Amino acid sequence: MSDAHAHHNNAPDHVPHVTPLPVYMKTFGALVVLTVITVGVSRIKLGTTVNLLIALLIATIKASVVAALFMHLAADHKFHSVIFVSSVVFLLIFVSFTMFDTEARGKADPIERERPKDPKNPFAKPTGLTTVTMPVAPAAAPPTPSAAVSASAAAPEPAPSAGYERVGGPRGPACHCGPGGPALSLMQRDGRGLSRPSL
Amino acid sequence: MSAASETAGPKGSPNFHVAHHFDSADTQFDAGRMGVWLFLVTEILFFGGLFCAFFIFRSWYFDSFVEAHHHLDWKLGALNTVFLITSSLTMALAVRSAQVSNQKLTSQMLLATILLACAFLVVKYFEYTHKIHDGLLPAGYFSGQGFTSAHPGVFFSIYFVMTGIHGLHVVIGIGLLLWILFRNMRGEFSSRYYVGVEGVGLYWHLVDLVWIYLFPLLYLVG
Repeated sequence: MSDAHAHHNNAPDHVPHVTPLPVYMKTFGALVVLTVITVGVSRIKLGTTVNLLIALLIATIKASVVAALFMHLAADHKFHSVIFVSSVVFLLIFVSFTMFDTEARGKADPIERERPKDPKNPFAKPTGLTTVTMPVAPAAAPPTPSAAVSASAAAPEPAPSAGYERVGGPRGPACHCGPGGPALSLMQRDGRGLSRPSL
Repeated sequence: MSAASETAGPKGSPNFHVAHHFDSADTQFDAGRMGVWLFLVTEILFFGGLFCAFFIFRSWYFDSFVEAHHHLDWKLGALNTVFLITSSLTMALAVRSAQVSNQKLTSQMLLATILLACAFLVVKYFEYTHKIHDGLLPAGYFSGQGFTSAHPGVFFSIYFVMTGIHGLHVVIGIGLLLWILFRNMRGEFSSRYYVGVEGVGLYWHLVDLVWIYLFPLLYLVG
Protein backbone atom coordinates (compact mmCIF):
# COMPACT_ATOMS: atom_id res chain seq x y z
CA MET A 1 0.00 0.00 0.00
CA SER A 2 2.17 2.83 -1.19
CA ASP A 3 1.17 6.37 -2.06
CA ALA A 4 2.12 5.69 -5.67
CA HIS A 5 -1.21 3.90 -5.94
CA ALA A 6 -3.23 6.72 -4.43
CA HIS A 7 -6.35 7.89 -6.18
CA HIS A 8 -8.60 10.89 -6.06
CA ASN A 9 -9.19 11.04 -2.32
CA ASN A 10 -5.56 10.16 -1.57
CA ALA A 11 -6.55 6.87 0.02
CA PRO A 12 -4.48 3.83 -0.96
CA ASP A 13 -5.83 1.25 -3.38
CA HIS A 14 -7.17 -2.03 -2.20
CA VAL A 15 -4.29 -4.50 -2.31
CA PRO A 16 -5.56 -8.05 -2.69
CA HIS A 17 -4.31 -10.92 -0.61
CA VAL A 18 -3.32 -13.34 -3.36
CA THR A 19 -3.33 -17.00 -2.41
CA PRO A 20 -0.43 -18.92 -3.97
CA LEU A 21 -1.43 -21.13 -6.88
CA PRO A 22 -0.24 -24.42 -5.29
CA VAL A 23 -2.64 -23.86 -2.38
CA TYR A 24 -5.61 -23.86 -4.78
CA MET A 25 -4.31 -26.96 -6.55
CA LYS A 26 -3.77 -28.83 -3.27
CA THR A 27 -7.25 -27.79 -2.10
CA PHE A 28 -8.73 -29.18 -5.29
CA GLY A 29 -6.73 -32.39 -4.88
CA ALA A 30 -7.94 -32.77 -1.30
CA LEU A 31 -11.56 -32.30 -2.38
CA VAL A 32 -11.25 -34.98 -5.08
CA VAL A 33 -9.58 -37.40 -2.66
CA LEU A 34 -12.28 -36.78 -0.02
CA THR A 35 -14.99 -37.37 -2.66
CA VAL A 36 -13.40 -40.72 -3.54
CA ILE A 37 -13.19 -41.59 0.17
CA THR A 38 -16.83 -40.70 0.85
CA VAL A 39 -17.98 -42.84 -2.10
CA GLY A 40 -15.71 -45.70 -1.03
CA VAL A 41 -16.82 -45.66 2.61
CA SER A 42 -20.48 -45.60 1.59
CA ARG A 43 -19.94 -48.90 -0.26
CA ILE A 44 -18.91 -50.53 3.04
CA LYS A 45 -21.97 -51.44 5.11
CA LEU A 46 -21.27 -50.18 8.62
CA GLY A 47 -24.89 -49.65 9.57
CA THR A 48 -26.92 -46.75 8.21
CA THR A 49 -26.32 -44.46 11.19
CA VAL A 50 -22.55 -44.97 11.16
CA ASN A 51 -22.46 -44.51 7.37
CA LEU A 52 -24.54 -41.34 7.70
CA LEU A 53 -22.28 -39.89 10.40
CA ILE A 54 -19.12 -40.69 8.40
CA ALA A 55 -20.64 -39.12 5.27
CA LEU A 56 -21.59 -36.00 7.24
CA LEU A 57 -18.12 -35.83 8.81
CA ILE A 58 -16.37 -36.03 5.42
CA ALA A 59 -18.81 -33.53 3.91
CA THR A 60 -18.07 -31.14 6.79
CA ILE A 61 -14.31 -31.50 6.24
CA LYS A 62 -14.84 -30.76 2.53
CA ALA A 63 -17.06 -27.78 3.32
CA SER A 64 -14.46 -26.43 5.78
CA VAL A 65 -11.72 -26.75 3.16
CA VAL A 66 -13.85 -24.90 0.59
CA ALA A 67 -14.78 -22.17 3.07
CA ALA A 68 -11.25 -21.70 4.44
CA LEU A 69 -9.31 -21.68 1.16
CA PHE A 70 -11.60 -21.17 -1.86
CA MET A 71 -13.75 -18.67 0.04
CA HIS A 72 -10.65 -17.15 1.68
CA LEU A 73 -11.97 -17.33 5.24
CA ALA A 74 -8.57 -18.47 6.55
CA ALA A 75 -6.85 -15.25 5.48
CA ASP A 76 -9.89 -13.00 5.69
CA HIS A 77 -11.28 -10.80 8.43
CA LYS A 78 -12.24 -12.99 11.37
CA PHE A 79 -15.63 -11.33 11.38
CA HIS A 80 -16.54 -13.06 8.11
CA SER A 81 -15.79 -16.38 9.80
CA VAL A 82 -17.98 -15.34 12.74
CA ILE A 83 -20.85 -14.60 10.34
CA PHE A 84 -20.45 -17.92 8.56
CA VAL A 85 -19.94 -20.11 11.62
CA SER A 86 -22.81 -18.49 13.51
CA SER A 87 -25.20 -19.40 10.69
CA VAL A 88 -24.01 -23.00 10.90
CA VAL A 89 -24.42 -23.00 14.69
CA PHE A 90 -27.99 -21.72 14.46
CA LEU A 91 -28.72 -24.26 11.73
CA LEU A 92 -27.51 -27.03 14.05
CA ILE A 93 -29.75 -25.72 16.85
CA PHE A 94 -32.68 -25.61 14.44
CA VAL A 95 -32.19 -29.13 13.10
CA SER A 96 -31.21 -30.80 16.39
CA PHE A 97 -34.09 -29.31 18.42
CA THR A 98 -36.52 -30.29 15.68
CA MET A 99 -35.15 -33.81 15.82
CA PHE A 100 -35.44 -33.90 19.65
CA ASP A 101 -39.09 -33.00 19.19
CA THR A 102 -39.99 -35.38 16.40
CA GLU A 103 -38.01 -38.27 17.89
CA ALA A 104 -39.36 -37.93 21.43
CA ARG A 105 -42.92 -36.85 20.68
CA GLY A 106 -45.49 -38.75 22.70
CA LYS A 107 -42.92 -40.58 24.82
CA ALA A 108 -43.86 -38.72 27.99
CA ASP A 109 -47.58 -39.28 27.49
CA PRO A 110 -47.87 -42.51 29.53
CA ILE A 111 -46.08 -40.93 32.49
CA GLU A 112 -48.08 -37.74 32.29
CA ARG A 113 -51.30 -39.71 32.08
CA GLU A 114 -50.40 -41.68 35.20
CA ARG A 115 -49.39 -38.54 37.07
CA PRO A 116 -51.65 -35.75 35.91
CA LYS A 117 -50.35 -32.32 36.78
CA ASP A 118 -52.44 -29.75 38.50
CA PRO A 119 -52.01 -26.67 36.28
CA LYS A 120 -52.49 -24.44 39.31
CA ASN A 121 -49.73 -26.21 41.24
CA PRO A 122 -47.39 -27.75 38.71
CA PHE A 123 -44.59 -28.54 41.17
CA ALA A 124 -46.71 -30.47 43.64
CA LYS A 125 -45.32 -33.88 44.44
CA PRO A 126 -47.60 -36.40 42.78
CA THR A 127 -49.14 -39.03 45.02
CA GLY A 128 -48.44 -42.71 44.62
CA LEU A 129 -45.22 -42.09 42.75
CA THR A 130 -43.68 -45.42 43.58
CA THR A 131 -46.61 -47.43 42.25
CA VAL A 132 -46.45 -45.98 38.75
CA THR A 133 -45.56 -48.44 36.06
CA MET A 134 -44.99 -47.63 32.45
CA PRO A 135 -47.43 -49.42 30.17
CA VAL A 136 -45.36 -51.68 27.98
CA ALA A 137 -47.96 -52.21 25.30
CA PRO A 138 -50.75 -50.00 24.06
CA ALA A 139 -53.23 -52.68 25.08
CA ALA A 140 -52.29 -52.20 28.72
CA ALA A 141 -53.33 -48.58 28.63
CA PRO A 142 -56.43 -47.61 30.53
CA PRO A 143 -59.02 -45.46 28.78
CA THR A 144 -58.32 -41.81 29.34
CA PRO A 145 -60.29 -38.62 29.12
CA SER A 146 -58.22 -37.35 26.19
CA ALA A 147 -58.88 -40.52 24.23
CA ALA A 148 -62.57 -40.14 24.96
CA VAL A 149 -62.47 -36.58 23.64
CA SER A 150 -60.81 -37.61 20.41
CA ALA A 151 -63.18 -40.56 20.07
CA SER A 152 -66.13 -38.25 20.26
CA ALA A 153 -64.55 -35.82 17.83
CA ALA A 154 -63.74 -38.43 15.23
CA ALA A 155 -66.02 -41.44 15.33
CA PRO A 156 -63.79 -44.10 13.64
CA GLU A 157 -60.95 -43.64 16.12
CA PRO A 158 -59.65 -47.20 16.45
CA ALA A 159 -58.84 -47.55 20.12
CA PRO A 160 -58.25 -45.39 23.16
CA SER A 161 -54.67 -46.59 23.10
CA ALA A 162 -53.93 -44.59 19.97
CA GLY A 163 -52.54 -41.79 22.08
CA TYR A 164 -49.68 -43.97 23.24
CA GLU A 165 -48.29 -44.85 19.89
CA ARG A 166 -45.96 -43.17 17.53
CA VAL A 167 -48.41 -42.95 14.69
CA GLY A 168 -46.83 -44.05 11.46
CA GLY A 169 -43.15 -44.24 10.85
CA PRO A 170 -40.78 -47.14 11.15
CA ARG A 171 -40.96 -47.76 14.89
CA GLY A 172 -44.68 -47.22 15.23
CA PRO A 173 -47.36 -49.43 13.81
CA ALA A 174 -47.85 -49.60 10.10
CA CYS A 175 -49.66 -46.63 8.66
CA HIS A 176 -53.32 -47.34 8.57
CA CYS A 177 -54.26 -45.54 5.45
CA GLY A 178 -53.11 -46.03 1.93
CA PRO A 179 -53.46 -43.73 -1.06
CA GLY A 180 -57.25 -43.74 -0.61
CA GLY A 181 -57.01 -42.74 3.01
CA PRO A 182 -57.40 -39.36 4.63
CA ALA A 183 -55.53 -36.33 3.39
CA LEU A 184 -51.92 -35.76 4.33
CA SER A 185 -52.87 -32.84 6.50
CA LEU A 186 -54.91 -35.00 8.86
CA MET A 187 -53.23 -34.87 12.22
CA GLN A 188 -54.12 -37.34 14.91
CA ARG A 189 -54.76 -36.17 18.40
CA ASP A 190 -52.66 -37.80 20.99
CA GLY A 191 -52.53 -37.16 24.69
CA ARG A 192 -50.73 -33.82 24.69
CA GLY A 193 -50.99 -32.44 21.23
CA LEU A 194 -50.55 -33.36 17.63
CA SER A 195 -48.58 -36.35 16.54
CA ARG A 196 -47.05 -36.93 13.14
CA PRO A 197 -49.46 -37.24 10.23
CA SER A 198 -50.41 -40.72 9.22
CA LEU A 199 -50.11 -40.93 5.47
CA MET B 1 -15.19 11.08 -10.65
CA SER B 2 -12.57 9.27 -12.66
CA ALA B 3 -9.49 8.31 -10.76
CA ALA B 4 -7.37 7.04 -13.61
CA SER B 5 -6.59 10.43 -15.12
CA GLU B 6 -4.92 11.59 -11.91
CA THR B 7 -2.47 8.73 -11.61
CA ALA B 8 0.54 7.83 -13.66
CA GLY B 9 1.14 4.54 -15.39
CA PRO B 10 -1.22 1.92 -16.80
CA LYS B 11 -3.91 0.84 -14.41
CA GLY B 12 -6.77 -1.57 -14.53
CA SER B 13 -10.39 -0.71 -13.81
CA PRO B 14 -10.29 2.82 -15.33
CA ASN B 15 -13.81 3.64 -14.20
CA PHE B 16 -13.30 2.47 -10.65
CA HIS B 17 -13.62 4.98 -7.88
CA VAL B 18 -14.20 4.91 -4.15
CA ALA B 19 -17.70 6.11 -3.35
CA HIS B 20 -17.70 9.24 -1.24
CA HIS B 21 -19.26 7.53 1.78
CA PHE B 22 -16.32 5.12 2.13
CA ASP B 23 -13.03 6.00 3.83
CA SER B 24 -10.91 3.92 1.53
CA ALA B 25 -10.94 1.31 -1.21
CA ASP B 26 -10.35 -1.33 1.45
CA THR B 27 -13.43 -0.29 3.40
CA GLN B 28 -15.52 -0.29 0.25
CA PHE B 29 -14.24 -3.71 -0.77
CA ASP B 30 -14.85 -5.17 2.69
CA ALA B 31 -18.36 -3.73 2.87
CA GLY B 32 -19.27 -5.37 -0.43
CA ARG B 33 -17.82 -8.69 0.61
CA MET B 34 -19.48 -8.66 4.01
CA GLY B 35 -22.79 -8.03 2.26
CA VAL B 36 -22.26 -11.16 0.20
CA TRP B 37 -21.43 -13.14 3.34
CA LEU B 38 -24.64 -11.97 5.02
CA PHE B 39 -26.55 -13.04 1.92
CA LEU B 40 -24.84 -16.44 2.07
CA VAL B 41 -26.09 -16.80 5.67
CA THR B 42 -29.67 -16.45 4.44
CA GLU B 43 -28.90 -19.05 1.79
CA ILE B 44 -27.51 -21.46 4.39
CA LEU B 45 -30.61 -21.09 6.55
CA PHE B 46 -32.83 -21.44 3.46
CA PHE B 47 -31.21 -24.73 2.47
CA GLY B 48 -31.08 -25.62 6.17
CA GLY B 49 -34.88 -25.79 6.26
CA LEU B 50 -34.76 -28.32 3.43
CA PHE B 51 -32.07 -30.36 5.17
CA CYS B 52 -34.21 -30.31 8.32
CA ALA B 53 -37.14 -31.67 6.28
CA PHE B 54 -34.83 -34.34 4.90
CA PHE B 55 -33.86 -35.52 8.38
CA ILE B 56 -37.45 -35.48 9.67
CA PHE B 57 -38.79 -37.56 6.79
CA ARG B 58 -35.76 -39.83 6.90
CA SER B 59 -36.54 -40.51 10.53
CA TRP B 60 -40.25 -41.12 9.89
CA TYR B 61 -39.99 -43.17 6.70
CA PHE B 62 -36.56 -44.68 7.15
CA ASP B 63 -37.26 -47.90 5.18
CA SER B 64 -38.54 -45.95 2.20
CA PHE B 65 -35.52 -43.65 2.21
CA VAL B 66 -33.09 -46.56 2.26
CA GLU B 67 -34.96 -48.38 -0.49
CA ALA B 68 -35.61 -45.34 -2.69
CA HIS B 69 -32.08 -43.92 -2.57
CA HIS B 70 -30.84 -47.03 -4.40
CA HIS B 71 -32.76 -45.74 -7.42
CA LEU B 72 -30.40 -42.77 -7.68
CA ASP B 73 -27.28 -43.38 -9.76
CA TRP B 74 -24.37 -42.59 -7.44
CA LYS B 75 -21.99 -42.61 -10.42
CA LEU B 76 -23.83 -39.69 -12.02
CA GLY B 77 -23.94 -37.97 -8.63
CA ALA B 78 -20.18 -38.46 -8.20
CA LEU B 79 -19.59 -37.15 -11.74
CA ASN B 80 -21.59 -34.04 -10.89
CA THR B 81 -19.62 -33.67 -7.66
CA VAL B 82 -16.39 -33.66 -9.67
CA PHE B 83 -17.90 -31.11 -12.08
CA LEU B 84 -18.85 -28.77 -9.24
CA ILE B 85 -15.56 -29.16 -7.35
CA THR B 86 -13.63 -28.44 -10.55
CA SER B 87 -15.85 -25.44 -11.25
CA SER B 88 -15.09 -24.20 -7.73
CA LEU B 89 -11.39 -24.44 -8.57
CA THR B 90 -11.78 -22.53 -11.85
CA MET B 91 -13.88 -19.94 -10.00
CA ALA B 92 -11.20 -19.51 -7.34
CA LEU B 93 -8.60 -19.19 -10.11
CA ALA B 94 -10.78 -16.59 -11.84
CA VAL B 95 -10.77 -14.52 -8.65
CA ARG B 96 -7.02 -15.00 -8.32
CA SER B 97 -6.29 -13.92 -11.88
CA ALA B 98 -8.49 -10.86 -11.36
CA GLN B 99 -6.44 -10.11 -8.24
CA VAL B 100 -3.25 -10.11 -10.32
CA SER B 101 -4.92 -8.15 -13.16
CA ASN B 102 -4.70 -10.99 -15.67
CA GLN B 103 -7.84 -10.08 -17.59
CA LYS B 104 -7.53 -12.77 -20.24
CA LEU B 105 -7.05 -15.62 -17.78
CA THR B 106 -9.97 -14.34 -15.71
CA SER B 107 -12.24 -14.58 -18.76
CA GLN B 108 -10.98 -18.07 -19.57
CA MET B 109 -11.52 -19.27 -16.02
CA LEU B 110 -15.01 -17.76 -15.86
CA LEU B 111 -15.84 -19.45 -19.16
CA ALA B 112 -14.55 -22.78 -17.82
CA THR B 113 -16.73 -22.34 -14.73
CA ILE B 114 -19.78 -21.67 -16.90
CA LEU B 115 -19.09 -24.74 -19.06
CA LEU B 116 -18.69 -26.96 -15.99
CA ALA B 117 -21.96 -25.58 -14.60
CA CYS B 118 -23.66 -26.44 -17.89
CA ALA B 119 -22.15 -29.94 -17.76
CA PHE B 120 -23.65 -30.31 -14.27
CA LEU B 121 -27.07 -29.33 -15.61
CA VAL B 122 -26.79 -31.74 -18.56
CA VAL B 123 -26.13 -34.65 -16.18
CA LYS B 124 -29.03 -33.47 -14.02
CA TYR B 125 -31.25 -33.40 -17.12
CA PHE B 126 -30.48 -37.05 -17.90
CA GLU B 127 -31.07 -38.01 -14.26
CA TYR B 128 -34.43 -36.21 -14.16
CA THR B 129 -35.69 -37.67 -17.47
CA HIS B 130 -34.76 -41.15 -16.25
CA LYS B 131 -36.69 -40.58 -12.99
CA ILE B 132 -39.70 -39.17 -14.81
CA HIS B 133 -39.68 -42.12 -17.23
CA ASP B 134 -39.69 -44.57 -14.32
CA GLY B 135 -42.45 -42.69 -12.52
CA LEU B 136 -40.11 -41.88 -9.61
CA LEU B 137 -41.86 -38.60 -8.89
CA PRO B 138 -42.89 -36.62 -5.80
CA ALA B 139 -45.43 -38.20 -3.50
CA GLY B 140 -48.76 -37.59 -5.23
CA TYR B 141 -47.38 -38.27 -8.70
CA PHE B 142 -45.30 -41.27 -7.72
CA SER B 143 -45.98 -44.32 -9.89
CA GLY B 144 -42.77 -46.33 -9.49
CA GLN B 145 -43.08 -50.12 -9.53
CA GLY B 146 -41.50 -52.81 -7.41
CA PHE B 147 -41.12 -50.95 -4.13
CA THR B 148 -41.59 -52.92 -0.91
CA SER B 149 -41.65 -49.97 1.49
CA ALA B 150 -44.72 -47.79 1.94
CA HIS B 151 -43.61 -44.23 1.10
CA PRO B 152 -40.87 -44.04 -1.53
CA GLY B 153 -42.66 -41.01 -3.00
CA VAL B 154 -41.71 -38.98 0.09
CA PHE B 155 -38.04 -39.57 -0.69
CA PHE B 156 -38.51 -38.41 -4.27
CA SER B 157 -40.38 -35.32 -3.04
CA ILE B 158 -37.34 -34.40 -0.98
CA TYR B 159 -35.01 -35.37 -3.83
CA PHE B 160 -36.73 -33.24 -6.44
CA VAL B 161 -37.23 -30.21 -4.18
CA MET B 162 -33.65 -30.20 -2.87
CA THR B 163 -31.87 -30.93 -6.14
CA GLY B 164 -34.35 -28.72 -8.02
CA ILE B 165 -33.71 -25.67 -5.84
CA HIS B 166 -30.00 -26.39 -5.93
CA GLY B 167 -30.22 -26.65 -9.74
CA LEU B 168 -32.04 -23.32 -9.80
CA HIS B 169 -29.08 -21.86 -7.91
CA VAL B 170 -26.77 -23.31 -10.57
CA VAL B 171 -28.87 -21.68 -13.32
CA ILE B 172 -28.82 -18.33 -11.48
CA GLY B 173 -25.08 -18.81 -10.97
CA ILE B 174 -24.57 -19.22 -14.73
CA GLY B 175 -26.42 -15.95 -15.26
CA LEU B 176 -24.24 -14.18 -12.66
CA LEU B 177 -21.07 -15.68 -14.18
CA LEU B 178 -22.07 -14.47 -17.66
CA TRP B 179 -22.64 -10.99 -16.22
CA ILE B 180 -19.20 -11.00 -14.56
CA LEU B 181 -17.60 -12.42 -17.72
CA PHE B 182 -19.15 -9.61 -19.77
CA ARG B 183 -17.95 -6.96 -17.32
CA ASN B 184 -14.47 -8.49 -17.25
CA MET B 185 -14.26 -8.42 -21.05
CA ARG B 186 -15.01 -4.69 -20.85
CA GLY B 187 -11.96 -4.34 -18.61
CA GLU B 188 -13.77 -3.43 -15.42
CA PHE B 189 -11.82 -5.74 -13.14
CA SER B 190 -8.24 -5.58 -11.95
CA SER B 191 -6.26 -5.86 -8.74
CA ARG B 192 -7.72 -2.48 -7.72
CA TYR B 193 -11.31 -3.54 -8.15
CA TYR B 194 -12.63 -7.09 -8.42
CA VAL B 195 -15.37 -7.24 -5.80
CA GLY B 196 -17.87 -8.48 -8.40
CA VAL B 197 -15.71 -11.49 -9.26
CA GLU B 198 -15.11 -12.17 -5.57
CA GLY B 199 -18.81 -11.89 -4.65
CA VAL B 200 -20.06 -14.16 -7.42
CA GLY B 201 -17.19 -16.49 -6.52
CA LEU B 202 -18.40 -16.71 -2.92
CA TYR B 203 -21.93 -17.46 -4.13
CA TRP B 204 -20.62 -20.12 -6.50
CA HIS B 205 -18.60 -21.80 -3.76
CA LEU B 206 -21.73 -21.92 -1.60
CA VAL B 207 -23.60 -23.70 -4.40
CA ASP B 208 -20.73 -26.20 -4.43
CA LEU B 209 -20.88 -26.42 -0.64
CA VAL B 210 -24.59 -27.32 -0.63
CA TRP B 211 -23.94 -30.04 -3.19
CA ILE B 212 -21.12 -31.41 -1.01
CA TYR B 213 -23.85 -32.27 1.54
CA LEU B 214 -26.59 -33.20 -0.93
CA PHE B 215 -24.52 -35.78 -2.76
CA PRO B 216 -23.74 -38.14 0.15
CA LEU B 217 -27.11 -37.64 1.86
CA LEU B 218 -29.24 -38.38 -1.21
CA TYR B 219 -27.07 -40.65 -3.34
CA LEU B 220 -24.83 -42.51 -0.93
CA VAL B 221 -26.43 -43.14 2.44
CA GLY B 222 -30.11 -42.36 1.85
